[in-house]
Amino acid sequence: MFDFAIAGVQAPIFLLVLVGLTVGIVGGFIGVGGGYMVTPALIVFGFPGYMASGIDMTHICGKGVVSTVRHRQLGNIDWTLALTMIAGTMLGVELGVRLLVYFKHLGISGVVLLVTSVALMFTLFLYTQLETRRAHKKMEEMEKEGREIGRELQTSNLPKVFQGIPLAPIVRCRTARVIVSMWVIVLVGMVTGVLAGFLGVGGGFIRVPALVYVVGASTHIAVGTDLVEIVVSGAYGALRHSIEGNVDLMAVIFMIAGAMFGAQVGSIATSYVRGPAIRYILSYSLILATLGAALRLIYVLTGQNVHWLSLAAVVLTLGEMIFLCLFISSLVWFAVRRRGGKWVPDWVGPLVI
Amino acid sequence: MKWFINSMLGFWILLLAISLGAAALVCEIWLKGRV
Repeated sequence: MFDFAIAGVQAPIFLLVLVGLTVGIVGGFIGVGGGYMVTPALIVFGFPGYMASGIDMTHICGKGVVSTVRHRQLGNIDWTLALTMIAGTMLGVELGVRLLVYFKHLGISGVVLLVTSVALMFTLFLYTQLETRRAHKKMEEMEKEGREIGRELQTSNLPKVFQGIPLAPIVRCRTARVIVSMWVIVLVGMVTGVLAGFLGVGGGFIRVPALVYVVGASTHIAVGTDLVEIVVSGAYGALRHSIEGNVDLMAVIFMIAGAMFGAQVGSIATSYVRGPAIRYILSYSLILATLGAALRLIYVLTGQNVHWLSLAAVVLTLGEMIFLCLFISSLVWFAVRRRGGKWVPDWVGPLVI
Repeated sequence: MKWFINSMLGFWILLLAISLGAAALVCEIWLKGRV
């Protein structure tokens, strides 16, 4: 047990390092900050809500830098896309925060937040899961026919629709190999920013699918580019929380100790898999987070009297982190086996490189 | 047992069971009284 003097909390150090490590691996792999996993976990460890949010934001910023550097080395960042989107994101976050304040004045912000989270995450899960299954099936057929499979395959027609919008100026994103109206990118940033500002999260789990299905970037590029956004929003959030005194630096240091290693592992792991594998992990993350939020929603709606619901939500949040790490590690292990000519299950073949 | 490895759904269920078990263990050992 370590005494975190600023937060006034005693918590086991290894649990903080472990949370940092697991969320680092997941964040580096699917391009999210992981706030929706870290904040509830920190609250369970005993940190007050505002402190959990501040510690989470500060650690996300540090972890985001590590992941971004790694993804840059892997050639997964499109700077044109990232910088164009930041403008829309900033505006969107401001609008989202104002929307949240409006609902707070109405006195229903807590329930509205949970309902919006559940609905949004479930919709994103459903679309990502169904599309990725189609892509997976197609790749399995291609493998059976002996055709070469590229690093990316996605079956959605949405990118074609959005890339066809002839609204000047048209931007050429060289790394992402996408030609699209600047306004589409700004709009994606703005809409995801509104949702992120409203829900109080970084928004990676919304932006990555948006970059893939709206802009038409490959999953690897979407992950790397989104991490640039996370560094910017994380740095701003960390600054604001530090000024407000919501950050216990010792907790941040322990979390970053794990996250620095995890973020590198997660980022490098993307080079062992094809795009659909990343989207599968993203969709699993979404459905488990949806279940966690749904349990919390039912707990709130039942007057916070059914305690096993709260316990189940905690187990699910911690379990989600472990599950995603195990799945990512398994995919890398299968990829290494496959490269060595050893047996891997049939379903794994098209997902790994 | 082979189904848990050869099928994606089986693998998903296997990992989820292990993860939730580990999470429940963490809650029981280190977080008892906090949740």
